[in-house]
Amino acid sequence: MTAAATRRKSPSALGEGRGEGQPILEARGIVNRFGKQTVHDGVDLEVKRGEILGIAGGSGSGKSVLMRTLTGLKAPDRGKVTIEDRPVDAIHDGEKAALIGVLFQQGALFSSLSVAQNVMLPLREHTRLKEADRETIASMKLELAGLEAKDGAKFPSELSGGMVKRAALARALALDPRILFLDEPTSGLDPLVASGIDELIVELNHALGVTVVVVTHDLNTIFGICDRVAILSDGKATVGTVEELMRSKDPWIHEFLHGPRAQAALTARHKHDGKR
Amino acid sequence: MRRATTGGSGAPAIAIREDGETLALEGALDVRTLTAAEDDLARRLGERKPRAIDLEKLSSLDTPGALLLCRLSGDKVKLTGARPDHQALLDLVCKLDLAPLPRHKPMPRWRQVLVQLGRSTHEAVLDGRDILVFLGRALSATAHVFAHPARLRPASISRQIADTGIDALPIIALMAIMIAVVIAYQSVVQLRPYGGEDFTINLVSVSVLREMGVLITSIMVAGRSGSAFTAEIGVMKAREEIDALHTMGLDAMEVLVVPRILGLVITLPLLTFFADAMGLFGGSMVTNWLLNVSPSQFFVRVHEAADHNDFLVGIIKAPVFALIIAVIGCMHGMRVTGSAESVGRETTRSVVKAIFLVIVLDAFFSIFFEKVGM
Repeated sequence: MTAAATRRKSPSALGEGRGEGQPILEARGIVNRFGKQTVHDGVDLEVKRGEILGIAGGSGSGKSVLMRTLTGLKAPDRGKVTIEDRPVDAIHDGEKAALIGVLFQQGALFSSLSVAQNVMLPLREHTRLKEADRETIASMKLELAGLEAKDGAKFPSELSGGMVKRAALARALALDPRILFLDEPTSGLDPLVASGIDELIVELNHALGVTVVVVTHDLNTIFGICDRVAILSDGKATVGTVEELMRSKDPWIHEFLHGPRAQAALTARHKHDGKR
Repeated sequence: MRRATTGGSGAPAIAIREDGETLALEGALDVRTLTAAEDDLARRLGERKPRAIDLEKLSSLDTPGALLLCRLSGDKVKLTGARPDHQALLDLVCKLDLAPLPRHKPMPRWRQVLVQLGRSTHEAVLDGRDILVFLGRALSATAHVFAHPARLRPASISRQIADTGIDALPIIALMAIMIAVVIAYQSVVQLRPYGGEDFTINLVSVSVLREMGVLITSIMVAGRSGSAFTAEIGVMKAREEIDALHTMGLDAMEVLVVPRILGLVITLPLLTFFADAMGLFGGSMVTNWLLNVSPSQFFVRVHEAADHNDFLVGIIKAPVFALIIAVIGCMHGMRVTGSAESVGRETTRSVVKAIFLVIVLDAFFSIFFEKVGM
């Protein structure tokens, strides 16, 4: 069984202490339009505390727009998003930084700052820690994200694709956010590095108890680590576990989860399960 | 029993109780309470030697807090009563092997200045060489195109003329008029005490025709079109479009650089002529207001004051400046590497260098024309 499946079926004392299973983020009736084109036509979504929720869908189905809406970067044309029962547009500054962490698709590391300075930036702006403490924390976050302290001196232009994602993840984790949004965390990476990132997400979710919302079209991520998946098609979201969605009658969802690539990802998952 | 709390109302707080050999933490241990808790715990652990830190009443714990606890715990101090989720976090953080962030040794000031000076000089020399090389390649590509007229790209050249010339007309007109107004106004004020304010017309016509018309136009075009050349070619370079051209057997020099150079060499003299006309018009306006010289009288006086040499001196310089601006703009575009910020950096450099070279060349032209008696 995958790590995700284990946790789903046996809610442990670990999960109860964190209040897992309760909704942490709710989106109701989200409508987004660009000109005449309606991207979202009433999307309802609930993210439960402690879960890994995948958001999938074809190109142009509005995955990234939905993430921008959930994080409050874009106001929806209709509908509302609440995080911990508060409207997302009413959460500001340090509070927002402590609540959500975002890994952007290209990393969005500040190119004029070193990796360590990137990680320390939110700490410097939103906490009153001593310089030495900030450095220790930055080094810890880099380590948590699978980098080494010496990588902290490098600049974003000197990093490989996988390291950019890890460094951006370390920065997203800087203030121990309660929800982590990941936009295509494995895109543009070779399969080995990509599965390393997948494992890292599970590990952080498990050990830090951070809720993860991952926007992806990587079927290995969807089958391998997501507790539940929201599939966007025709402006609506269909949410469920992978098993539930595989029984869906919707032609697009069926094609998406039964196509040749999905079969390969599913086989990999079964092999993976067998080894455990 | 002593109690210590930090944080105001509403803010998260941490309380530390001393209970025999145990320190009991109560409240939140996170980045907001970390500094206070760290100092307090260090002091208490220093004073006496408690055996255990009890975490049973800790309501929340984050990674920095866990790191602090990991550092305090060890052989002598045990962590007890942690909730399962806190224990998971402690296990994760404690097993990390943390190294300090690497530091750079700062260089002494005087050495920085020296290094910077050396580096800039070296770069200036390399830059000069690069400009000559690129100029040579551009001219050779242009000659090649003229030798095979079928390769001349009239559509591309005409687009460049429209972009760099026609679109620039309003701003060039405004600038030329304004500069002429400034020169005319200052001349009237300076010459009036000597009763020579009539010579304002000579000053305006000669300075606009010989220098100001072409200089203002070149500076405007360097800012407007030189930067556009760098940005356009730079973005193509960054997106591998130049490489795509090469794989299709097309020469970027011929496709991108030659039309821009030819377009600008055709456009800039025409723009200069336009600027000359607008400058004289601006001068005639000022003399009309201040000296009551009618525009028709003004232009009669212009004919007496300036001859065709003055006009030619201005116009001859225009294609040379155009060549410099286009070559610098295209060269910096080709220098762009993958990143978006290098497009911005090269664009800035291209504009600064083009304007600098235009003014330096203009000074040489002044000496040259004086020697040949024009």
